[in-house]
Amino acid sequence: MGCGSSLLDGDSRQLGRPISENGAGQDAKNLRVKLVLLGDSGVGKSCIVLRFVRGQFDPTSKVTVGASFLSQTIALQDSTTVKFEIWDTAGQERYAALAPLYYRGAAVAVIVYDITSPESFTKAQYWVKELQKHGSPDIVMALVGNKADLLEKREVAVQDGTDYAEKNGMFFIETSAKTADNINELFEEIAKRLPRPSVS
Amino acid sequence: MIDDEREGEIRASIEPATEDAPSSPGSSGYAGEGGDSSSTTSGSHFEIEHEEIQEDTRIEIDRISISDSHTGWIPGKRHFDEDDASLSWRKRKKHFFVLSHSGKPIYSRYGDEHRLAGFSATLQAIISFVENGGDSVKLVRAGKHQVVFLVKGPIYLVCISSTEEPYESLRGQLELIYGQMLVILTKSINRCFEKNPKFDMTPLLGGTEIVFSSLIHSFSWNPATFLHAYTCLPLAYAARQAAGAILQDVADSGVLFAILMCRHKVISLFGAQKASLHPDDMLLLANFVMSSESFRTSESFSPICLPRYNPSAFLYAYIHYFDADTYLMLLTTSSDAFYHLKDCRIRVETVLLKSSVLSEVQRSLLNGGMHVEDVPPMPHSGSSHLGQQMLPSDSPDRFKEVNSGIGGPSGLWHFIYRSIYLDQYVSSEFSSPINTPQQQKRLYRAYQKLFASMHDKGIGPHRTQFRRDENYVLLCWVTQDFELYAAFDPLAEKDLAIKTCNHVCQWIKDVENEIFLLGASPFSW
Repeated sequence: MGCGSSLLDGDSRQLGRPISENGAGQDAKNLRVKLVLLGDSGVGKSCIVLRFVRGQFDPTSKVTVGASFLSQTIALQDSTTVKFEIWDTAGQERYAALAPLYYRGAAVAVIVYDITSPESFTKAQYWVKELQKHGSPDIVMALVGNKADLLEKREVAVQDGTDYAEKNGMFFIETSAKTADNINELFEEIAKRLPRPSVS
Repeated sequence: MIDDEREGEIRASIEPATEDAPSSPGSSGYAGEGGDSSSTTSGSHFEIEHEEIQEDTRIEIDRISISDSHTGWIPGKRHFDEDDASLSWRKRKKHFFVLSHSGKPIYSRYGDEHRLAGFSATLQAIISFVENGGDSVKLVRAGKHQVVFLVKGPIYLVCISSTEEPYESLRGQLELIYGQMLVILTKSINRCFEKNPKFDMTPLLGGTEIVFSSLIHSFSWNPATFLHAYTCLPLAYAARQAAGAILQDVADSGVLFAILMCRHKVISLFGAQKASLHPDDMLLLANFVMSSESFRTSESFSPICLPRYNPSAFLYAYIHYFDADTYLMLLTTSSDAFYHLKDCRIRVETVLLKSSVLSEVQRSLLNGGMHVEDVPPMPHSGSSHLGQQMLPSDSPDRFKEVNSGIGGPSGLWHFIYRSIYLDQYVSSEFSSPINTPQQQKRLYRAYQKLFASMHDKGIGPHRTQFRRDENYVLLCWVTQDFELYAAFDPLAEKDLAIKTCNHVCQWIKDVENEIFLLGASPFSW
């Protein structure tokens, strides 16, 4: 309980990978990236992260305060590993002004909306614009329509998500943290799209 | 020894109304305002029912929990479906409202804020009516109900209560609610109202109902809410020292406050040089962290304001739970210190595990704190429990045998000792005569009343007080160094009760380095 993330840290140190403050200390085989989740409150950001990191889903909604920090390492088929250091931010309005604190220096931004809520889709577009203005120029952005299991309540068409993502050079996917649908795929796809240090 | 003792000396003085007399012209004015008889504030509206209303009989919302655990109390707001037209809403014994100076609802304990817009506007009208007369309204009494007002710039706080708590206590509770709001938003919220008087604050507090309901719940179980002191988890001196040393080490590396807590009790804490932490800030901080479930899920980094430290600015808090009960809070002024604080936490965790502090904490939780049954027996109290003393002659049935088999010596049921110098208190575990949540809540309310009367500037200061009613004998003793509040069996003898209090004080001195955080305390403001 609550010790999971610390154990992950312990592991990473035992692996002997160099760790530096800005996340630059990495080789071509073992990437370490800062990822931030943004989006309206209640769209399921924390659920996506907890499904990805711990394989859990908790239907009782727990409002995130400030931002939670979790990490998870995945192995790709080309035998590289990617360690995601994830900032799961609070969706509440009062934290909007503090978002730069968490997305500053992020290599990946995952912008989440709820397919049953057009307002959350509008909010997602706000975050895309904000990141285009103030995020890192080479940031990898993913647009995620969550709660895809609630098909009968859908109010945002798949096409709307696809179109918007395409226009803004983003990767788009619909997920369900509840059924685990497309959660791993989301992070694997992000990992594939990351710029590799070896290329430079 | 206790001297200057007078029985029932404060009975006539609890009424705070005199202080508020200047505002009473306002109360006559409310009736004239608007012809709507159902929403006038002249008595009828607040005088909802005169018969005894069981507090929250339908759903046991106000159940208080035994010791610190929140079992039996489900956090979160209830009765969303109610508004001021619902009979159930009007029957609730204690309401809290926060509204803006333009009358917009911000928070209400029961019911949906938006449906209470009309009611909020009425409260706002009362406040501004009196303010227009160059005065301010503090308290309106209407039958069994007290309506307490607190104005904080553009934010108005109101409590409507039939719980018979003293005005000072209710006002103190409103101050804490305001403080909790500052923890979340800081005082810079005032600027939003300067720009737009009709500013709607509710979206900014989204998702925080649980923080406020948990604070309001603590008014009936946590003595820190009226003692303005904090309490420590009982712990072997060496274990607390080990925790303190690593926290100091961490604080020296640029952390403003390093606080290790178990539920609402402090294990150890350390502040940077010259930084002092107010017990009320600790209460609000701990309430905020414990009521926000997300902190338990993973380590977090969140802006947080300590109103007594600096109400205008955010600090940044790194929060990590080591287990279900024990958590570390590292506070800093630097918004990009997360990785440093994370490293600090790993260092703290290593030390705590090595010195098995965390397992000692769990053991302490299991054993509980001080038990009245363990008060050392009186060394040479020549008198037995019976017969030697003159008992009050007003009730003949007092001449029954005092059952000393339950509770501590001389019928001691419970005590709270507050060290003035340390700003800490220690509260005994509840003994069997007060083992239901209702009894415990009643006892806290009695202590609260006692506290208010001892600190009443109008009639105080007092040194001792001895009260007897059908529920308990209450004894309060205030010196320069400490305050002792003790509850005895209603049949307890006065002389023996006093002797027992002396023993309790001696006992506390004997074990002080296990129950208090001693030494380099940052609590010096």
